[in-house]
Amino acid sequence: MRFTRFVRRIILLAALPLLLLGIPTAALASTASASAATASTAATGAGWIRLAHFSPNTPAVDVYLYSFGDTSAQIVLHHVAYGDASPYEQVPTGDYTVAMRAAGASSASAPVLSASVNVVAGHAYTVAGLGPESGLRLQVLDDDLTTQPGQALVRIIQASLKQNVVSVSWGGTTLESKLAFGSVTSYQTVSPGTSTLLVTGNGEDAHVSIPLAAGTVHTLVVLDGAKGLQVDDLLDAAGSATDPLGGASTGFGGMAPRAPSSPLPWLAVIGAGLLLAVVGGRRLRRLPAARS
Amino acid sequence: MLAGRRTAALLLAAGLVAAGAGAAGLVLTRHPTVPQAAALQLLPAPTGPIEAAPPQGAAQVAAPVSLVIPAIGVSTSLVRLGLTSAGALQVPPTTAVAGWYTGSPRPGAIGSAVIAGHIDSRLGPGVFYRLSQLQSGDRVYVRRADGTLAVFKVTEVQMYAKNDFPTAAVYGATPTAQLRLITCGGTFDYSTGSYLSNTVVYAAEVT
Repeated sequence: MRFTRFVRRIILLAALPLLLLGIPTAALASTASASAATASTAATGAGWIRLAHFSPNTPAVDVYLYSFGDTSAQIVLHHVAYGDASPYEQVPTGDYTVAMRAAGASSASAPVLSASVNVVAGHAYTVAGLGPESGLRLQVLDDDLTTQPGQALVRIIQASLKQNVVSVSWGGTTLESKLAFGSVTSYQTVSPGTSTLLVTGNGEDAHVSIPLAAGTVHTLVVLDGAKGLQVDDLLDAAGSATDPLGGASTGFGGMAPRAPSSPLPWLAVIGAGLLLAVVGGRRLRRLPAARS
Repeated sequence: MLAGRRTAALLLAAGLVAAGAGAAGLVLTRHPTVPQAAALQLLPAPTGPIEAAPPQGAAQVAAPVSLVIPAIGVSTSLVRLGLTSAGALQVPPTTAVAGWYTGSPRPGAIGSAVIAGHIDSRLGPGVFYRLSQLQSGDRVYVRRADGTLAVFKVTEVQMYAKNDFPTAAVYGATPTAQLRLITCGGTFDYSTGSYLSNTVVYAAEVT
């Protein structure tokens, strides 16, 4: 009987490593599935919105951004004055309403103006108050995020009422001539560099040195400044000046997973060993103990 | 009788030794290189003045000098990376440091800043060995030459075949301050001595 207990104990001991083997295997399997879950995360379904006030004779406003159908505002910008542009806010894709109220007006009051925006994933929008106060409008601009390799992108918003028709050149190249107050050009590709931006109105002009780096997108806003024409350079987006080709060679393989060897031969050895042990144990049990 | 008992005991002993050896063999061959969680140092989040992206231009943002990712125990200085003569991204000269691609925006300025690091050397783990273990929401800290910190939040972790690398998503323009961390991953091709895939971590500045 003592022997039976002995043999059972021994078999248990032999089985222990097998049990322990199961644990690291399970741990390995769980890390593998965790990294697979991270890798399969879908691209974020979001876009960007920024709000701006480019109407020279319109007093400051409060700007509200509502998710469509939601009565409580997602973003409220207080006291947005002529020439102000907010940074971009990332928002989930979908429909939004932008409403403008006089600065300080109750959020329950009827807005002076409103516009709707459909935000598509990966797209950026500028919602700007444009034109004179008498004809104020909220315009939704689709902002470009893609530059030609090694080039910069530029568009112009003409928001000067005092110089209501302007021409704009950059480094001697005409970007736009006779641009009327309240208009927005489409983007155009320019060779990157730092040059002088020249804005010419009726008898008044402004020149500013502006760097337009490769891989960047700009909106240049022509404004009525305290002293004559003023130009604001809004950086819409920036990427790499030059896109490297292909992927990155960032590894030498020292930690690369090796081809997993089959566990079968080892399992066979374990099985055979256990079988031998069981046979031996039984025979020991059956044979009488030595008597001296 | 005694001889029988001895044979039986011998059988029992031999069987146990064989089973033990088999178990040992199984364990040793199944775990050539398993990352040890114990080796992960717990890093405190760095402290310092945090400055968000200035709305206009990038000239005001200082160049990056170091990178800390507490979640995966990364704390490294940043070297500067350009392009190879073939037009590919240059990689850091050692596997122990990461590098910032100088053709990309500075971390914290508007746009997508790019930082690359090795997953391993020929002998052991590199600075970005655990990059693929980052999860959405993990924080990434970049310290700049003027002592300010840019703080980013991981939004996505992806693996791409190198021959299908998403250049536009990684190097293209973005309207907010973002970060891309790049290392190798996937299968190692012993014939060419390189990994077949890249792991890319996308992060957005926390404001």
